[in-house]
Amino acid sequence: MMRKRFLFSLASVLLLSTLLLAGCNSGKSTEGSGKVTLTFGTSQSGIPRTGIMQTMAKEYEQETGVKIDFQVVPDAQWRDLIKVKLASGEAPDIFNVDVDPLSMPANVRPEENAIDLTNEEFTGRMSEEILPTVSHNDKVYGVSFAPTKIWYVYYNKRIFQELGIEPPTSYAEFKAISQKIKDKDIIPFYQAPASGWYQVLPLFETGPNYEQTTAGTYEKLNNNEMKVADMTQLKTVIEQLKEFADLGYFGKDFLSNTVEAGIEAFGQEKAAMLLRVPGTEKEVSEAYPEMEDNMGFFVMPWGDNQTIGVNPGGSAAMFGNKNSKHPEEVLKFFRWITEHDHLQRVFDEGEGNLTICWPEIEPKLTQDYIDYEKNHEKGTVMQAAVKYIDPQWMDIGKDLSGMFAGAMTPDQILQNIDKRRAEQAKVLKDEKWQ
Amino acid sequence: MNANKIYPWYFSSGAIALYLLFIVAPALLGIYYSFTDWNSYSSEKNFIGLEHFRTILAGDPTYLLFIKNTVLFTLVTSIAKTVLGLFLALLLVSGVKAANLHRMIIFSPQVLSFLIVGLVFKSLLDPNNGFVNVTLRSMGLDVLAQNWLGSLTWAMPSIMAVDTWKGMGYIMVLFIAGLLAIPRDYYEAASIDGAGFGQKLFRITIPMLMPTITIATVLNITYGLRVFDAVYVLTNGGPGNATDVINTAVYSSFAKGYWGLGSALSTILFVIMAILSFFIIRLMNRKVEY
Repeated sequence: MMRKRFLFSLASVLLLSTLLLAGCNSGKSTEGSGKVTLTFGTSQSGIPRTGIMQTMAKEYEQETGVKIDFQVVPDAQWRDLIKVKLASGEAPDIFNVDVDPLSMPANVRPEENAIDLTNEEFTGRMSEEILPTVSHNDKVYGVSFAPTKIWYVYYNKRIFQELGIEPPTSYAEFKAISQKIKDKDIIPFYQAPASGWYQVLPLFETGPNYEQTTAGTYEKLNNNEMKVADMTQLKTVIEQLKEFADLGYFGKDFLSNTVEAGIEAFGQEKAAMLLRVPGTEKEVSEAYPEMEDNMGFFVMPWGDNQTIGVNPGGSAAMFGNKNSKHPEEVLKFFRWITEHDHLQRVFDEGEGNLTICWPEIEPKLTQDYIDYEKNHEKGTVMQAAVKYIDPQWMDIGKDLSGMFAGAMTPDQILQNIDKRRAEQAKVLKDEKWQ
Repeated sequence: MNANKIYPWYFSSGAIALYLLFIVAPALLGIYYSFTDWNSYSSEKNFIGLEHFRTILAGDPTYLLFIKNTVLFTLVTSIAKTVLGLFLALLLVSGVKAANLHRMIIFSPQVLSFLIVGLVFKSLLDPNNGFVNVTLRSMGLDVLAQNWLGSLTWAMPSIMAVDTWKGMGYIMVLFIAGLLAIPRDYYEAASIDGAGFGQKLFRITIPMLMPTITIATVLNITYGLRVFDAVYVLTNGGPGNATDVINTAVYSSFAKGYWGLGSALSTILFVIMAILSFFIIRLMNRKVEY
């Protein structure tokens, strides 16, 4: 009798524990009043820093009663975090992921995790260029506002004029003008290794230059017929970055610099050059009005590059969580935010992008950009054309920081890139690596 | 079964259930996953034997660096916390003024999250505008100003110093409790026999404190081996991989979606901790004779 009572009590305790634990997870995205709340997870740079998305979400709530709860995570952590959240079934109702045609399927696993948007009216209005970056197996899964991305070196015209220097067209010229700027106690080029990803841009944004010089490089890399370590031009770019660091052209103790602080350094004329995307003039001059009409740009000249690297993706796209409790509300929000007037507002009140991947929205590219693009060749950046480069972006960033600090050599960095490519190819069972 | 045998089980059954559910089951699952190729890119989990362990222990020097960093961090911070904790405890029980206030101040970092401590120290140690370098420069000691968290030489010692600062208060409190438990008679007898401070310290205090030292050492070592937040917040393992430890590598493996590999790293850490704890307890629990 005693034994039965004991077993009964034990079973009751276990049952109670289970019920309590199950109760902890209930009502995750629905408030007590019955009002629907959609969670929206994103990296910091996944939505405009101006806060326009949050403002519009409040208006959407007033209009429809559906609340959007933003969970904004630092860039360096979000890439990793969203993978874990997706795998554990705890992803937000709407989530942003940086997309490109090569890595989106592996990073999002859209068939399992994303709502199919193929038959939505708005997908037909997105630019043809962006659709492959948010599509998989002929189905569209993502919504993006991002334009095709180009990174230029922005420079302070006043400083250049005072020093009698011109935008460089080769690495030798780049080095020479940097020395002149440094001699005036101004940081020649703002570098931001503490953010983890920024220092990697010169390596792969100059990819079209490798492809032009040695045609077929991208294809050979994708077919595992050559190694990244065999790319002598890439090694040159890495060596040049190291040389810039050693010569003090990134400034003293630059390893602690973050991307966010770059606008301040450039706006306050502490740094003469800064790697940014078109629209930077607006962002800088809004914070530092004295910088208005004082900014020019040129293509990054590492490795004597003179080709404009274009990334058809590379920025965030929104996905609806297929396992959300409120898929219909997610779709309604996507339909609302992609209405023409709302797109226009996201564009106008964003942080200064001059284009958007919706052809119905008039771009704001100035004649300077149009002329510059006419006079330079364009090509697809390496991370959007070569497999297994983009997913290891942050690892390469760490390696480059190690090199700046003296812990690694350019050869070791290249070997690590190959090693990580092979690791991922193996995980994805890529037949070219078998 | 009589009531005396039943009641302990009866009252602890809830705790045992929760312990099995949240500690034992995940640990066993983790060990199982370390033998699989489980990852975020596929729903398959294939048994691959010891492959991950071979990669970590024989195939890749980077992982050996992480293990070396973890052991180095553990050794240095354990010794530093124990020595400083003991020194502070001796100071505070020796009749120093406002001992309680000092005790509270020294202990207070322990209650703060490392996220806050890390962010504060990141700011203090900023090479350009941080308090430490600005102060050194203002005193004309420019040569001592360093890139504390960004250089290969100083990054790991800086993390160790911050961690020691945060943790020594807790060890100090343990030692204070241990010191107060030592009967005063021993010291009085030793004084009558003409023993000096050193003799009292090494012949009475430290032997009598051995149980506390054992606890402090095991706590320090298990904490040191599990370190993550200190490294993650202050340097994120950088520059390069210079300050990466096993747990930042575990985090990185999980984050990348290589869950089998991350589980194998965790299993290795578990084995190191179990072996070290076993030997330390055996070594330090030997009977002390007077």
